Amino acid sequence: MSSKIAKPIMHSAAWRISLWATLAFACGTMLVFVFLHRFVADDIQRRSDAWLSGEVEVLGDVAERTPKDAVYGRVVGEVAELAAKEVPNKLLSESSKNDSVFFLQTGRDGAPKLWVGAGRGDANLRAIQAAGILPGSPTDIKVQGFDIPFRVASTRIDDGTLIYLGLSERDELRVLRSLRLRFILLWLLLVLLGFGIVFYTTRRMLSHVRQITEAASRIGHSDLNARVPTTKRSDEVGHLALTLNHMLDRIESSMHQLHTITDSLAHDLRSPLTAIRGKLEMSLSAGVLPEQVEPIVSAIDELDRLDDFLNKSLDVAEAKADALRLTRSEIDLDDLLRSMIDLYEPSMSERGLQIGLRSAGPLKISADPSLIHRMIANLFDNELKHLPAACKVTIDLRSEDNAAVLLLQDDGPGFDPQVLPHLFEGRVKGKDSLGHGLGLAFIDAVARAHGGTVTASNRETGGAQLALTLPLVFNTTLDRTESARSGSLRGSSGLPR
Amino acid sequence: MRLLLVEDELDIRSFLQRSLEETGYQVEAAADGKTAESLALEGIYDILIVDLGLPDQDGISLILKLRQLGVSAPVLILSARRSVDDRVRGLEQGGDDYLTKPFALAELLARLRNLLKRNSPPGNESTRLRVLDLELDLLRREATRSGQVLQLTTQEFVLLEYLCRNAGRVVTRSMILDKVWGMRIQPDTNVVDVHIYRLRGKVDGKGQQPLIRTLRGVGYVLKDR
Repeated sequence: MSSKIAKPIMHSAAWRISLWATLAFACGTMLVFVFLHRFVADDIQRRSDAWLSGEVEVLGDVAERTPKDAVYGRVVGEVAELAAKEVPNKLLSESSKNDSVFFLQTGRDGAPKLWVGAGRGDANLRAIQAAGILPGSPTDIKVQGFDIPFRVASTRIDDGTLIYLGLSERDELRVLRSLRLRFILLWLLLVLLGFGIVFYTTRRMLSHVRQITEAASRIGHSDLNARVPTTKRSDEVGHLALTLNHMLDRIESSMHQLHTITDSLAHDLRSPLTAIRGKLEMSLSAGVLPEQVEPIVSAIDELDRLDDFLNKSLDVAEAKADALRLTRSEIDLDDLLRSMIDLYEPSMSERGLQIGLRSAGPLKISADPSLIHRMIANLFDNELKHLPAACKVTIDLRSEDNAAVLLLQDDGPGFDPQVLPHLFEGRVKGKDSLGHGLGLAFIDAVARAHGGTVTASNRETGGAQLALTLPLVFNTTLDRTESARSGSLRGSSGLPR
Repeated sequence: MRLLLVEDELDIRSFLQRSLEETGYQVEAAADGKTAESLALEGIYDILIVDLGLPDQDGISLILKLRQLGVSAPVLILSARRSVDDRVRGLEQGGDDYLTKPFALAELLARLRNLLKRNSPPGNESTRLRVLDLELDLLRREATRSGQVLQLTTQEFVLLEYLCRNAGRVVTRSMILDKVWGMRIQPDTNVVDVHIYRLRGKVDGKGQQPLIRTLRGVGYVLKDR
């Protein structure tokens, strides 16, 4: 579980979902704003154009009616000044110095006759002449010395002179800029808030999915009693949890059925075996004739072999259905192999076999001791039964990628190539093999039940090789729940099986 | 020693009763939980053998009920089930023991002895074991026969010690595997026999009385007379 928490948040689905949702939201709102901005800009332009056209008409009218005498300049100038004060979108604070509006009258020859505005008006005239403004339609011109373009409308009056009224677009642009600034701030805020909300909700929802996943994987490993956590809400996640739990109910019940069958099979066979074995033993101790001892002894041996066969068959059957019940505790494989070698070494040397262990030291796994012991004994029994004299068995034990790897090699004749692909299927044995051929299937079953693997091959240099991997001590949450469970079982009494 | 045997299978019950009586136990037998309850309340028993699969109730429920009723004698649980129930494990920790069917009689008897010993006050644990002229010094890990020091490996010493502690009684191969090597396995090869042959070669010298005897089909015994 710790690995899941340590996983960077950027890799979570919640992060990706919120990122994409936020991106879509941001793009959408940005698009809306662009249209809005254009609409507002157009509208402002339209208003100022209407004002310009209206004012230039008024000024033209005034200029026409005012006699062309000495006061003409002053009258028209004042009217122009007045008009400048009614500029739309104007900031009040800047009323003292008026550089946002200019008025220009030119004669027929294009020479300036009257100028009202900031500066001398030469640059304005040049720009106007360069732009070739026609009366009636307001046009943008760029005047040297001013950063911001002017919007200029013109009209021709009766005496053939042209009147130009220019309005700086400064105020219009300021309005738009402040609009943009406010929008960007608001937009950023909204996007961040939206990201936060989406991230929080998806994360909450997905954390529930993660809990379900964790519980489900835990159940897959061991604990069929457990169920995934459910919520009261009846959304998709809630349905997922319910569906999973229904599925687990069914799996548990069929697993329970399988256990009932194997248990009763074992029980029904073991009871007569026990009775027969007991009677045979009693007849041995009752003092039989010497020639009767041998058949009784071999009958007892056969019974023990039958019991072993029964146990292994049921273990293999349960393991194939992933239903083998494990009682885990900590095992040191190095230690186990040493005592196993100690146990088998005399028998091996009796048969002229050598056995050696190469191990880097203690290697602890969490596993079912009884099954692991039987599995390793099986490996050794196999070698003991099948190897010809003067062979050497080597066992390598090491840890690799969180797993214990046990490599068992010999320099004997190797596996029969025809049998090799079916070695772990059970009921397969070489021509000269004794036993019931379940040994390797059992080894495979135990390895799989512990989440490990076993592979068999023939070495290039001759001889057989079995590679067994078993996961090292697992996931701490798993062990915690397992011990919690067994603890609660131990504490209570009369629990149904 | 009074023993209560609770086992529903007639065949098993009768042979167990016979062999237990031959060994010297006074045996009362019950075929179901009800009979067992009334027997256990009437008489006082030193030890109980209870089969898990009884017709009228679960063996464990019976044991727990008897415990509540004040029966404190140790219980040997017989089980033909495949996996060891968590509750059996619980009882095992409470001082009882279990044995899976089929079992060797020798092992059943050894477990009964162990349970009875556990219940009796601990005697002085001697640091020396002596069987006839064989002597084991448990502190120095040294074995001598007729004063001659035997050259034993560590494992051979442990094996001999186990045989000595059970001198005069049969031990089976699986008991040896369990107690000496700590494994509950059933090898289908003669690994234990080879250890015994080797040990015998060292313990029973030429001209000496052979101490380690093989009882074919049953196990081994270290003679004590």
